[in-house]
Parts: sequence; C-alpha cells; structure tokens
Amino acid sequence: MARLEQRRRFIQRALAGTAVAALGGVYFLSDDLTRAARAESRKDGRPRLPPGQRVLSKLRPMGGEPSDTPPSQYRVKVYGEVEAPFELSLGELAAMSSEHGVDVHCVTGWSVLGARVKGVPLAKLAERAKPKSKARHVIFEAAHGYTSNVPIAEALRPNVLLAQGLEGQSLPRAHGGPLRAVVPDLYFWKSAKWLEGVRFVEHDEPGYWETRGYHNHADPWREERYG
Amino acid sequence: MATTITPTPGAKSATADAARARKKLPIRPWLRALHRDVGYLAVGFTVIYAVSGLSVNHIADLGDPSFKDVNRTHQLARRPPEASTSTEAVASSVLAQLGITKKPSDVYRASDTELDITLTEEHRLHVDLARGTIQEEAREPRFFLRLANWLHLNRGKKAWTYLADGYAVFLLFLAASGLFMIPGKKGLLGRGGVFVAAGVLVPVLYVVLSGGP
Repeated sequence: MARLEQRRRFIQRALAGTAVAALGGVYFLSDDLTRAARAESRKDGRPRLPPGQRVLSKLRPMGGEPSDTPPSQYRVKVYGEVEAPFELSLGELAAMSSEHGVDVHCVTGWSVLGARVKGVPLAKLAERAKPKSKARHVIFEAAHGYTSNVPIAEALRPNVLLAQGLEGQSLPRAHGGPLRAVVPDLYFWKSAKWLEGVRFVEHDEPGYWETRGYHNHADPWREERYG
Repeated sequence: MATTITPTPGAKSATADAARARKKLPIRPWLRALHRDVGYLAVGFTVIYAVSGLSVNHIADLGDPSFKDVNRTHQLARRPPEASTSTEAVASSVLAQLGITKKPSDVYRASDTELDITLTEEHRLHVDLARGTIQEEAREPRFFLRLANWLHLNRGKKAWTYLADGYAVFLLFLAASGLFMIPGKKGLLGRGGVFVAAGVLVPVLYVVLSGGP
C-alpha cells in the first residue's frame, strides 16, 4: 500500500514537473523581442511580424550545399529574357553595394528584424539588363542546381538585394557567401544562397522547394508555407 | 476446534489465480537477467545512436551537426602593404602576420580595401585592408558528434554494418523481453497494455494524419 502511494506521489510530481516545463516553453516562445515586434507595423500597414513567427536576434544558417567556386572566379549572370545580358564579378558587385536594413522570415517560424545587409538592389541590375516586356518571373539560380522563383514585380522591389555582407562583415559561407539573394517580403527559402545567376523568364519555373511541397508564392503574411 | 474455510467460487478468486499463474512463469528470471545484461551491452551504442539521432534530425534547420562554423576576428599588428602592392604580396604579408604557412588556394582582391584569401574550401580569410581587420571563417569538426554521426549514418561501412545489425537485434530483444520480465498486477491487460498501444498508435496515427510518404 505504501509503495502504491509512493508511486502515485512520483507520478503526480512528474506530471507537475512536466507542466512547469511546458509553461516555461510558453514563456520562452513569447519572448520580449517577439512581443515588441508584434506591436509594430510596416509602412504598408501590415504588421511587422507575420503570423506564426518568433523573433531571433541573428540569422540561422539553415543548411544547404555551399558553392565550390573560388572568389576570384565567381561571376553572377543576369540573363534570360533581357535586352542586355551581362556578368559581374564580386568586385564589380561590391563597388555597387550599400548597406540596407531588412527583415527576413523563415518558413520554419523564425524571423530576424533589421538585419544589416550589404548588397545591390536587383532593380538596379535589371535597369542595366533591360528585361523584355514578356519577362514575368525571375529565377534565382544557385550552386548545385538550387533555384527559387519570384514574380518579376516582387523581385524588382527596391528591398530585393544581391547581398555580399552581413552585420558589417563579409557574408559568411554558411549564410550563402560570397553572394546570396535577399527577398525580404517572401519566406527566406526564396533568398537563394551561393547565388550564381538571375534569369528573367516568361513562364514560371517552380524551384527546389516549390517542387517539394512548399508554396509557390511564399507570402509570410498569408502564411503561404506549403503548396 | 478446527475450522475449514471453503473458498467461494467467483471472479475475484479466478483473477487472483490467473495472476499467480502469471507470476510463476519460469522464464521471467531469465528474461530479467538477459534484459539487464543486453541493456548493459547496449548502453554505448544507445548513447551514440540517440545523440547522433537528435543532431541529424535537425540537419535541415541547423546545418551539418558534425561541424561547427567558426567566425573569428583578428586585428593585424602591422599595417598591410600599400594598396599599390601586388595582391599576392599583400596576402603573403597577412598570412605571415597570422603565422599561417599554408599556401592559399585562391586570393581575390574585390577592391583596394577588400582581400579574400581561401586556404581551403572551409577555411577563408576576409581582410579589410583599410581597418587592418581579418574575419576568419572556418568549419571545424565537433569531435564526438562527427564520430557518432559517422557511425550512425554507417559512412564507414565494412564491419560496422554487422555491429549495427547486432545492436538492432538487441533492441528488438529489449523491447520484447521488457513486455514480460515483470508480471505486474494485471499484466498486459493493465497499464502495460495501454502504454504498448500508445507506443504503437503514435507512429500509426502520425502516418495516417500526415498523409504518409
């Protein structure tokens, strides 16, 4: 009998411990950064933090297969349905770069707000390439065949960048260095790391994750996570 | 005066008899002894497979857990040569100051003030010549996780395949012997049965609810 009571007491304490741990988890999820961000709005009237997101203080690398190309041979191509295709070296891109503050939102549920990214707006490169009127989408082409697709109107927004720097330093390889796309208003998988090409196309071409069950558009404010 | 107590036939008595019969199962002491000894043998394997399992489960979120990305900043003690100096000479001067003797596989000067030195694919230096700072980026192995993942993912093949098969058989034995080694009050008809059913139902329900592969 005493043993039975001892066991009951143990189970009760274990359950109480689990409840306390779970409450701790709830507190952890509703942290200060996230609470503060939820109170903010963007210029377009949308909340600064999309639904279902939690704010982190710095980017997570999230994996992927880095480029093997040495920096001296690295070129990014801007081509496809354009009047004047061209290639740029990292040095040429660096000469055009400036620092921007961007918010990014990962489909796995974290966001980083106000990350300092050094890069060139894609719109600036598009001015030089002159997309043809039939170009409707932009395909970001990365190392080892990774691609992501973005409608041209969204790809040419002024906050879409080809980035080489992060928080005052060179973009680390784990984050896509030497060059990655940054598309702040779509889930972060659209921001292809180890970027090698920007191709303007007439017809949409769903990319690596889009053909593996993820949403073709990926708007964080509509929670377009899965297709 | 002697009193004879005649047992009253009934359900309760039948349950007690059945419980007694279960308790007398002669194989139980053997199961307990074997379960304990196989459990001892499985400790090392279990730690390796469990720790590695936790880490590889999150590869997509956190990258390859066998390695850690290191980012260090150094300040050059002496100013690097003037901008007009050749790229190779500037790189040599930077490497000498850091005490690195390895020959770089690539040196690239993006501008007068930016120099990238690639020592290996996973060890790079980004030099800011204006400020004399170096951002060192490297990928370093995590000793235990690298070994555990190498074993878990059976990258070495050869004899490990058979050892891992043996461990899997041990696990099956531990699961099966665990069902019967202690009789319990109601055996598998009580709490044990509920837990076994829950353990079976969790993966089944997950497959059904998630739509499966």
